[in-house]
Amino acid sequence: MGLDNAAVEPLIRVENLRKSFGSHLVLKDIDFSVNPGEVVTIIGASGSGKSTLLRCMNLLETPDSGHIWFHGEDLAADRVNINRLREKIGMVFQSFNLFNNKNVLDNCTLAPVTLKKMSKDEAEAEARKNLEAVGLSDFINAPATSLSGGQKQRVAIARALCMKPDLMLFDEPTSALDPEIVGEVLNVMRDLAAEGMTMVVVTHEMAFAKNVSDKVVFMDQGVIAEQGDPKQMFTNPQLPRTREFLSRYLED
Amino acid sequence: MKRFEKARSFVTDDHRYVFLATSFVAVIGIWFSMQRRSAMSFLRGAYSVEVAMYWFLMAWLAVSAIALVWKLTHWKGDAYQKTSPFTTPVGKTAARLGSYAVWAITAALFVDRAVMGFLAVVNDSLSHDKNPSDFLSSIVYMLDKSYGIIGQGILTTVGLSVFGTLIAFVLAILLVFLRIQQIDRSDNDAVRFFKVLGCGFAKVYSTVVRGTPMMVQGMLIYFAGFGLLRNSGMTVSEIGKVWSTFVAGLVTISLNSTAYMMEVLRGGIEAVDPGQNEAARSLGLSQWQAMIKVVFPQGVKNAIPALSNELVVNIKDSSVLSVIGVFDLMFATKTVVGIYFKQVELYVVATLCYLFLTMVASWLLGKFAQRLSVEPQPLTSVSDMNATVGTVAGTGSSEYSLDKKKAR
Repeated sequence: MGLDNAAVEPLIRVENLRKSFGSHLVLKDIDFSVNPGEVVTIIGASGSGKSTLLRCMNLLETPDSGHIWFHGEDLAADRVNINRLREKIGMVFQSFNLFNNKNVLDNCTLAPVTLKKMSKDEAEAEARKNLEAVGLSDFINAPATSLSGGQKQRVAIARALCMKPDLMLFDEPTSALDPEIVGEVLNVMRDLAAEGMTMVVVTHEMAFAKNVSDKVVFMDQGVIAEQGDPKQMFTNPQLPRTREFLSRYLED
Repeated sequence: MKRFEKARSFVTDDHRYVFLATSFVAVIGIWFSMQRRSAMSFLRGAYSVEVAMYWFLMAWLAVSAIALVWKLTHWKGDAYQKTSPFTTPVGKTAARLGSYAVWAITAALFVDRAVMGFLAVVNDSLSHDKNPSDFLSSIVYMLDKSYGIIGQGILTTVGLSVFGTLIAFVLAILLVFLRIQQIDRSDNDAVRFFKVLGCGFAKVYSTVVRGTPMMVQGMLIYFAGFGLLRNSGMTVSEIGKVWSTFVAGLVTISLNSTAYMMEVLRGGIEAVDPGQNEAARSLGLSQWQAMIKVVFPQGVKNAIPALSNELVVNIKDSSVLSVIGVFDLMFATKTVVGIYFKQVELYVVATLCYLFLTMVASWLLGKFAQRLSVEPQPLTSVSDMNATVGTVAGTGSSEYSLDKKKAR
């Protein structure tokens, strides 16, 4: 535990996290934490383990060893009630993963109605509110499969928000979108950050990392190579590897 | 409408095609006129009319030949259009009317020779008191005498396959739930035990049923059931009421089809993008909830074409159940063969009946599948989107805007 941070209890804290696929060690003893209200971006080359780390944080990947402390419980412990804890952790995927058999509104209300025992009307009111916030209130009855990529991703964000999560995980949310559409999704995320949502974002959008996040984590070959304030990271990175990776974005 | 228009211009506009196509029809007409007249022929008493028809067709061929020769000798530029009498308005009209006449004559000859000829055979064989030796007559004679047996066989086959498939579908849905169970982190020991047990049962069931012939399964089920009831002290006639061959056959076909349908369903479920399940789980849904609400509906939809094929397979494969004495189409055919000893004729009839049943089944199922998979049209293309968040983008949204207003 960082003593300098003792005043603020982290919302989620990853301790000695290890994960391998077969014989390939993807995460090598990761330690890292996110404070409430913080926006953390994880950057790094493909294959550096950043998506795996994110997916471990709501146990879509099962870690080999280590701890993930969230609301006083260890997510990585065997037989923890992961479903209850996942309700508090929203996740947005690269490939959107809207439920193809449902329309936009039902995508948003499925989990609240099933898990929070909300009435259909309550859940729909909440869903309409969130869909309006992402600018899609005119599409509530549209089948999920009929939307464009940017629309799908915004619905996916609204869907996650409907569970009123404490933490939002974004797994390369704009990587599957064409450059013109990226902006509409990033704007939604920026609004969300401004409202004080705690967010962990794996991204290749360096402008977003620099301007919106409170902390940037640079991963390289399964370890956190460097982390810190975005201004410092993008102007004066400490390691040569970070400097090399960010060379295109560095300001001189 | 477009097709009709095309056909019209083909027939009326360009007379060379009229000559070519209609000459072919005329040849068919001439061939019919050379066939033997049957007892029911309506042209029987009108010999002169038939001669006139025959010579009209021959004349048509001659005129067509002349037109062709003319075309071949005046092939340069528009020489043909300018010189040929066939391209004048009068010539064109005459050719068109002539072609109608050729079609009419050929149709009349077809009805007289083919249709009436067939009816004459039917009529003739019905009045026989002995099985005629002629192939077609014999089929008609035997069908007339034993259509009740064949009809009952068809009904039994349809009943077996339709009810068998429906029962199997329900059982397959239950079984596939067992088959796809995976151990989840939050499961306690009892749940883990039952999941392993259920999955193992489904695997063994599928292997055993798909690895043995249905004929053997039918025998085993029928005689095992018979033996059990006999041991419980029932008489043979009492058993016949409860455990008839039809019931045993239905049980066999249902249990057999269940295994195949389960594998089809499993394939459909596994074809669903794993992201669907991940998204549901990430929201906090349990494995079971994600399966029921998200993955399973999509998996069943994937599997519908292959599932409906199972009905067609069952129509055909129910024939092996005749070995335990189910009175299906196969058993009925064998029964009639036993009366008349006309194997080829009767098995041709059985073949046509099975073919008819399977074709009707696939046609109906095709209609059904079409109705189920109405894909929504894309609303807007990406380029229609406005990149600013918070504004309503895309003109294609109007349809859904209307829906929303209605909802309010």
